[in-house]
Amino acid sequence: MRQRILEGKGVTKSFGGLMAIHKVDFYLNEGEIVGLIGPNGAGKTTLFNVISGVYPLDEGELFFNGTSISSLKPFEICRLGIGRTFQIVRPFLKMTCLENILIGLIGRGERQKNLREKKKEARFYLEFVGLKGRENSVAKDLTLIEKKRLEMARALATNPKLLLLDEVLAGLNPSEILQALELIDIIRSQLRVTIFWIEHVMGAIMKASDRIIVLNQGEKIKEGKPEEIVSDPQVIEAYLGESNA
Amino acid sequence: MDKVEFMRFWIFIPFIFLTLFLPFFLSQYWLHVMIISLFYVMMASSWNLIAGYTGQISFAHAAFAGVGAYVSGMLAVNMGIPAWLGILIGTSIAGLLGLGLGYLCIRMGGIYLSLTTLGFSEILRIIITNEDRWTRGTMGLQIPGFFIEYSKMSYYFLFLIVSAFFLWVIYRLIRSEMGLSFRAVLNDELAASSSGIDTIRVRILAFTISSAMAGMAGGLYGHYLMLITPDIPSLGQMFLVLAMAVIGGMGSFIGPILGAFVLEILSEYIRIYGEYHVLLFGLVALGMARFAPGGIMGLLEKRWRLREMS
Repeated sequence: MRQRILEGKGVTKSFGGLMAIHKVDFYLNEGEIVGLIGPNGAGKTTLFNVISGVYPLDEGELFFNGTSISSLKPFEICRLGIGRTFQIVRPFLKMTCLENILIGLIGRGERQKNLREKKKEARFYLEFVGLKGRENSVAKDLTLIEKKRLEMARALATNPKLLLLDEVLAGLNPSEILQALELIDIIRSQLRVTIFWIEHVMGAIMKASDRIIVLNQGEKIKEGKPEEIVSDPQVIEAYLGESNA
Repeated sequence: MDKVEFMRFWIFIPFIFLTLFLPFFLSQYWLHVMIISLFYVMMASSWNLIAGYTGQISFAHAAFAGVGAYVSGMLAVNMGIPAWLGILIGTSIAGLLGLGLGYLCIRMGGIYLSLTTLGFSEILRIIITNEDRWTRGTMGLQIPGFFIEYSKMSYYFLFLIVSAFFLWVIYRLIRSEMGLSFRAVLNDELAASSSGIDTIRVRILAFTISSAMAGMAGGLYGHYLMLITPDIPSLGQMFLVLAMAVIGGMGSFIGPILGAFVLEILSEYIRIYGEYHVLLFGLVALGMARFAPGGIMGLLEKRWRLREMS
């Protein structure tokens, strides 16, 4: 059996009286791409925010490589090896592309490397996501797909073992989606990063994922291989039914 | 070095000559104005470090200058400790107070820091005013000068050297990893912490460094005036520093330097209107914040960039 990189047991989070996620059990094996799907408001982004430490969890326990991360702060979780992107992109708008990526490298907290070495490494990630030549462009001047690439580069620069991708394909046109999928494929094969991925573009996520987890109204209703998910009546009713009807 | 930075560099050279040789042609009065301007350069630039680069609006900056001035002054008066040592002790105490205050209220975020520092500032001023056994309250405490022989020229160069030192530290800091982290925190705190940046630590560190700098500036200021009053840690003083940074250009390196000189020299000309000049500066600062958030430097930079494009 492959090693479990991330495991959640009974993960629960509510906001006031609203139960955002309720007793969700899940796991990710090392090297997997796992898709997280579900209708709007199902609690997908909340789950990501709990994993990355933005919200403390109410109940349950989260393990990363066997150690509990339930009470850690976002920067500590990042340093352990969980990187993320945001549903609504959040690059540092007033900083250049290179500076954005540098923050990810600085975030590793390695003291032995100086700024010049880190800049060199930042350029590697800049090229890796296809932003070569945009080094000194200020992030706010980038197009949406470029901002998404930049955010991905910043997340990769933190040297993650697990990457949380929150709707990286949203708002992209078909050819841009193909490019993004290609990039994700390279991230997995070259950098050997495990990927946990929220997506609404069904065709893409079904094709790319090894396994799919379906959330509905804060609860996990199904988990399995993509072909099992698409034919599951419960899932179709909760989610696919909505959009296909 | 991009083009804008290159131009900034060239503007600097005549400026350095000016600061080195101009004082020999100035009257005692204008020399005094220059010394006070340099004090405000230290104050506005170090305040800019927290307000402009990490986005934390502290109202305790003048209070920390007061801490520096009174600690050093009282040590000199009561224990005969030399000014340079007193200033260093005052700087450390201001830094420690900054660390404590920062530790307590920075995790609460944004507006709470402003409110707590505002309260701290007023409490300190009231204590200094009322504990007149030690501080002689509003009558002011007479303290020895920095130099044995009083000479405005010596003070000018002392202030110039310390200002240059401050600016060098700030310049190095904002171009270091720490400075990048400052800006990341300012841009987007959540994204910064999710990228591995310990945002609380970064903000407390900036606050501590900046407070210590204010303490040192205040200590020097006290030993120059040789009479320290609760006006040094007053809010009037604080808003003047704030106006200098905002009008000059918050978040830019040159902005607060420019703002300090422009406003100090200007206030000499409108001195006849008494304390109203602070009100005027406040209004101008408000207008600037609304219509030209980058201050004078922001406007200049925009013009340079436009010319570059055409």
